[in-house]
Amino acid sequence: MRRRMLAFAAAAAVLLTAACGGGDEAATGGETTGSTASLVLGQTDIPASFDVLGYASGTKTQYFTAVYDTLLRQDGSGAIVPGLATDWAYDDTRTVLTLTLREGVTFTDGVALDADAVVANIEHFRGSSTPDLSNAAYIDTVSAVDATTVEITLTEPDPMMLTWLTQPLGYMSSPESWENEDVATNPVGSGPYVLDTEATVVGSTYVFTKNPDYWDDSLQLFDTLTMNYYADQSALLNALQGGQVDAAPFNQFSALEQVEAAGYESNVSRLDWEGLMLLDRDGALDPALADVRVRQAINHAIAKDSILSAILLDHGTATSQIFGPSTDGYDESLDGYYTYDPDKAKALLAEAGYADGLELTMPSTSVIDQALLTSIQQQLADVGITVSYTDVGTNFISDLMGAKYGSSWMRLASSSDWQTATFALTPDALFNSFRTQRPEVDALLETVQKGTEEEAAAAAQELNRYVVEEAWFAPFYFVDNVYVSKPTLDVTPAADMVVPYLYLIQPAA
Amino acid sequence: MLRFLVRRTVAGAAMLLVISTLAFTLLYLTGADIARNLLGDNASQEAVDLRAAQLGLDRPLGERYLDWLSGAVRGDLGTSWFGGSSVVDLLASRLGVTLSLVVLSTLLSAVVATVVGVWAAVRRGWVDRVVQVFSMAGAAVPNYLVALGLVLVFAIDLAWFAPTGYTRPEVSVGAWLASIALPVAALTVGCIAGTAQQVRSAMIDALRQDYVRTLRSRGLPERSVVYRHVLRNAAGPGLSVLALQFVGLLGGAVVIEQMFAVPGLGALSVASTRQGDIPVIMGVVVVIAVIVILVNLLIDLAQGWLDPKARTA
Repeated sequence: MRRRMLAFAAAAAVLLTAACGGGDEAATGGETTGSTASLVLGQTDIPASFDVLGYASGTKTQYFTAVYDTLLRQDGSGAIVPGLATDWAYDDTRTVLTLTLREGVTFTDGVALDADAVVANIEHFRGSSTPDLSNAAYIDTVSAVDATTVEITLTEPDPMMLTWLTQPLGYMSSPESWENEDVATNPVGSGPYVLDTEATVVGSTYVFTKNPDYWDDSLQLFDTLTMNYYADQSALLNALQGGQVDAAPFNQFSALEQVEAAGYESNVSRLDWEGLMLLDRDGALDPALADVRVRQAINHAIAKDSILSAILLDHGTATSQIFGPSTDGYDESLDGYYTYDPDKAKALLAEAGYADGLELTMPSTSVIDQALLTSIQQQLADVGITVSYTDVGTNFISDLMGAKYGSSWMRLASSSDWQTATFALTPDALFNSFRTQRPEVDALLETVQKGTEEEAAAAAQELNRYVVEEAWFAPFYFVDNVYVSKPTLDVTPAADMVVPYLYLIQPAA
Repeated sequence: MLRFLVRRTVAGAAMLLVISTLAFTLLYLTGADIARNLLGDNASQEAVDLRAAQLGLDRPLGERYLDWLSGAVRGDLGTSWFGGSSVVDLLASRLGVTLSLVVLSTLLSAVVATVVGVWAAVRRGWVDRVVQVFSMAGAAVPNYLVALGLVLVFAIDLAWFAPTGYTRPEVSVGAWLASIALPVAALTVGCIAGTAQQVRSAMIDALRQDYVRTLRSRGLPERSVVYRHVLRNAAGPGLSVLALQFVGLLGGAVVIEQMFAVPGLGALSVASTRQGDIPVIMGVVVVIAVIVILVNLLIDLAQGWLDPKARTA
């Protein structure tokens, strides 16, 4: 995963390697002098299972990457760097990916991590009902060319493929462990650490010890690694105030000062956008939303800055776009595209024929900040749009995907162009539930998917501008993602992951 | 006595059956898209359909319940949808934690509440009023607030205890006691309050009885009157309320375990509810039901021992 691998002296060398997108990183061999004996991480999530059915990234990343190597990794800024694969290359059609594997790596049960093991892992993933199954959607065949070469053939180019290989699709576990009865709780990988099943209490505390045979010193900066799960926000706060954890995600903005007063530093990244999805752009359910002026009016009606202060206590950045700051499609000038202007909103509504107002029904559920929903309701009411909420409980996501609501609150990740597209823009995207399709968008999407890196980046920018101008969404802001750490640690937030990858947490120099 | 036991056991089993049927039906009929919730927002429909089929969610509810039940009577509560570990193992690893909290808290409450309740009833006057006020306050303050206060003072300011976490007694008895001291204290406060009140009024009632006057007139030492005779008569209501408190503590443990990040049944039930891990939730429901039924049975037996008249009731 995203590893800014760097360790100490070797940082420059590694970043160079990373930039070249290849090469051998064994050169890192970071000195571990000054390493802290133990690292205790606070967690707000638990791994559902260490077997393929529970594979996950996001808030669960640190658990999995402690025990599993990934085929590729990412440095902190989002660039792909070597992992188990030291080299990788696409053919001209971008549909055949050839990976060269590091030699001599074994799983902790002694099984060799060779091309056959990699093929078996990818096939295992594809044959399961893992939550990330769609990551393998474009994979046609996987084959071992020789002991250290794997060829992945795609049905069409997948701009996310290299990224997927840094995530669950790239997790490598010993094929011989899959039939073990305790496969879910006793992972057998080749990663930097081994789960100490004796000391671990599943669902509460996970204790890891060093994998004695590990090949990359820069990933083993601590002798022991402990991850404590805090289901309750106030328990996490107490643990931080009591100094029980060295680092943890902490997004309870109202208590952040307390945590900082207890001696922690905040490391901030921007990953998610929050705002409204205006899904029914052809007016199937809410005819008014078919008019671009209505969608623009909604954008002008929201006082982003005041919501940002009231709800997030200013821990965010107002924006009008859904492409995140770390993506190629991001265009800083679009952050201020729509400003709060209720008069303009009313004028646009009048132009569109809704001078007398209009009504929208949106889904709500208890996990959404109710104060935020009320603010949205109030501000839209101020320009004549009456919002009524229907509580849909745990069906929130399925109702949205089932096109039961023309518009809705949403908070979505936006850390890469193609992910943003497949989440929200492509005709079959999860959150393009009314299947909006425009020829100009199709053409841009095609380039983002199949073009060279430069072409894809340019197309993503154009796509972003189109979506903003057409007001497919009404984004409010990018939300600060905060990871707190003790001053004894150097933490680099990851550009595309909600918690830092393990190697981004290092003893302070 | 044997007949009483058999009758109660059969009633308990019937109750268990009703509870499990209800719970099973309610859990599976929530209308939520179970497989979707298990896999999360980003999962493709393909993965969701596959998982639903793997979990047998496409089979009729009655059929699934009978499967579950036939497993349950053989001591097999299925496997967790997350993690794939056996539900019985999961419960076993968590049960001890919760029971140590709840049992310690109950014992502590019983001792303190008896002392305080008897003291208030015998001395009356200002002692009684002070006890009453504290009892009211103790019962009125929710235990999570008590917990919060204890953490702030004893864990964060004074740093005598760790604010969160749990050490198993096998690792170190001292560390184990330290790790459960605050959670037990937080649970105990409300429990003492409720029980002391009950002991106090039962004692006052008993002290007013004719036999007390008779005993005293015979010149029995006051200590013997109060502790040998009156307390024994007053113990019945005290025990009943303690049983109620015990059941209440199981509920309280849900919140307290969360706050102190203690891996007990309560924390397990919250985590599995959040994840939608129905087999585990069912397991928790069954275990809690069994505990409650057993406690009631034990209390009935104790009442019978204290007061032979209760046996025929």
